[in-house]
Amino acid sequence: MIDRKKFKKRYCKYCEAKIDYVDYKDLNQLKFSLSERFKIMPRRLTGNCKRHQESVTIAIKRARQTALIPYIVDRKNVVDSPFEMIR
Amino acid sequence: MNRYETLFVLKPTLTDEETTAQITKITDVLHKQNAELLATDLMGMRKLAYTVEKQNRGYYTVLYYKTHGSTIAEIERNLRINEEVIKFLTIKFDNTKEIKQFNKIVDSITQKSKHIPAPIETKPIQESESIETKPIQESESIETKPIQESESNENIEATEETKIVQEINTEAQTVESPIEA
Repeated sequence: MIDRKKFKKRYCKYCEAKIDYVDYKDLNQLKFSLSERFKIMPRRLTGNCKRHQESVTIAIKRARQTALIPYIVDRKNVVDSPFEMIR
Repeated sequence: MNRYETLFVLKPTLTDEETTAQITKITDVLHKQNAELLATDLMGMRKLAYTVEKQNRGYYTVLYYKTHGSTIAEIERNLRINEEVIKFLTIKFDNTKEIKQFNKIVDSITQKSKHIPAPIETKPIQESESIETKPIQESESIETKPIQESESNENIEATEETKIVQEINTEAQTVESPIEA
């Protein structure tokens, strides 16, 4: 996966969509920056610009506080299809 | 006067009447503190990402209002006392960018709420309202576009999967059919 991403030209999807403020309740916006286990994806993999990455991290952390997104997904707390709950 | 947003989660064990009662109870606290309630967004019953106070589901509501910063402590104290509230989060909209977003959200909610009760309540004044609602529909369609795109992508993926399944089925049928013949 990482090798494949090396050759793509990366760009900030939030800049492209012209999103000024990332809302923590809108999970479709956050979905892109989350891994399968609901970790925050690093900027070097997603290609987010620094400004948007910062706002996205804040939004994700707020979504975790309000139980919209899990903090961790481990063997005890397995989700069958991880993005099913995000709709 | 600053702009704030409060999200709170009510217990799923309550009936519909009790949930509305709890929401009005919290809005009454806002009115007592002279807060200007601009919009309420009922997100409805949702599955929680993790168990909170032995509950797996919760009723989400969001309040958008203007107040002085000193009143927030009192509002949060009331939320903390209330046993039916599982979780809450207040956020201040500070920058010009955030305020723009705040106004956008409030406008979208008020337009939605206008859009739904219009045909039921005010039938005699249909002409004037129909003119008002026209631009609203346009703006809504613009806002909902990105979400629809993402959904359509998912649908495409789903359809692709179904196609593959169908292909497999057809293959299986073609294999089976000569044996039957």
